[in-house]
Amino acid sequence: MIEIKNVSKWYGSFQVLTKCSTSVKKGEVVVVCGPSGSGKSTLIKCVNALEPFQEGEVVIDGTSVGAAGTDLPRLRSKVGMVFQHFELFPHLSIIENLTLAQVKVLNRSAEAARDKGLALLERVGLTAHADKFPGQLSGGQQQRVAIARALAMDPMCMLFDEPTSALDPEMINEVLDVMVQLAQEGMTMMCVTHEMGFARKVAHRVIFMDKGEIVEDATKDDFFGKPRSERAVQFLSKILQH
Amino acid sequence: MHLEWGFFLRDIGDGETTYLSWLFSAWGWTLAVAGCAWVLALLLGSVVGTLRTMQVTWVARLANAWVELFRNIPLLVQIFLWYHVIPSLIPPLRDVPSFVLVVFGLGLFTSSRVAEQVRAGIQSLPHGQRHAGMALGLTTAQTYRYVLLPMAFRIVIPPLTSEAMNIIKNSSVAFAVSISELTLFAMQAQEETSRGVEVYLAVTTLYIITAMTINRLMALIEKRVRVPGYVGGDR
Repeated sequence: MIEIKNVSKWYGSFQVLTKCSTSVKKGEVVVVCGPSGSGKSTLIKCVNALEPFQEGEVVIDGTSVGAAGTDLPRLRSKVGMVFQHFELFPHLSIIENLTLAQVKVLNRSAEAARDKGLALLERVGLTAHADKFPGQLSGGQQQRVAIARALAMDPMCMLFDEPTSALDPEMINEVLDVMVQLAQEGMTMMCVTHEMGFARKVAHRVIFMDKGEIVEDATKDDFFGKPRSERAVQFLSKILQH
Repeated sequence: MHLEWGFFLRDIGDGETTYLSWLFSAWGWTLAVAGCAWVLALLLGSVVGTLRTMQVTWVARLANAWVELFRNIPLLVQIFLWYHVIPSLIPPLRDVPSFVLVVFGLGLFTSSRVAEQVRAGIQSLPHGQRHAGMALGLTTAQTYRYVLLPMAFRIVIPPLTSEAMNIIKNSSVAFAVSISELTLFAMQAQEETSRGVEVYLAVTTLYIITAMTINRLMALIEKRVRVPGYVGGDR
């Protein structure tokens, strides 16, 4: 589904990604972790070309992301993305946040989009908030809306960029619950997260990044059981201590 | 000091116009110059300001050049350039009425200032907003239209209010090319009646009323488009 081949990226002369290669198969849940500044958010943004990269190739469902002539908006509409800071559109009500792209990108009718939006709001338990504005919701609620907004496009896979990092602790679980459910339904997912509980529960593979490189790319059991690299061992010991 | 207002009802010498009706017609010209120039400034300024935030380098540079050109030349000099220099370089413009030339001069000058506000408004939005729009499959144009500009314009209403008030005041430069607006009226009426104090008091009052009306109008718009629960610049 997602193929990442030898992707390298520089900001000026500073290299942020070095020959990153991995893949996510259909129905697979892959967790990307690593210390801050390791390039994991940058990598996931290369997948739908929100960040350009200079070398290598990303192929989604047979379409090369970086190739000239690729219809990026069309490709992106099939790849759902959830951001660290939710990024709901503050001037639109919750239901309008869910219908905007359905109508403008997928050309759905207003009613069809609204029905779809309401169904997804029910799924994330926020039907009562349909006509509120993002600023009136808690962080956890906003992130659930953001997930629903991405799902409204019927994506073939979902990208999560640290979806719980900006949340207060008591709101993390309501978001993770939605993600776990999604994973269990067979959604193809690539998640940048430090939630190792989530990784243990639903991930098939775990990728560990450090200094712009993919240091470890292993099955969940291998990664938590016997990480091979010293850096991964150090990282795990730091975040699993408590 | 003794104020004498009676002359406003006097005929200016043509048998039908009083100074009072001349005053109001001058006010009309001021509003016309400022209004037309504001429409032009808002349209051009929004486009140029938006282009300045594009990630295509040459487009952004061209828009930057526009802003630098029009904001680095004194307004009065720009008006004279439109009136004297440009028509002699482009002969077909010789027949264009000076009203139109002033509207262009004032409008383009103000457009550079509006562009600067619009650019600042767009850039004050969290970077993720652009990403969120694009990640949903919106094109760049759609991302601006539905995601970035609606918030950016809300944010820049206060500075745009200042610009709208400025354009009323700046429209007084139109006197320099003989548009019969408030400032020209003041100068001529003062000369003819020797009632400078009353004339300038009247004109000043009309300028203040106009600018304050704009201020209240913009405040009303700001209130109407306020986003529930949104605290500006919290991120």
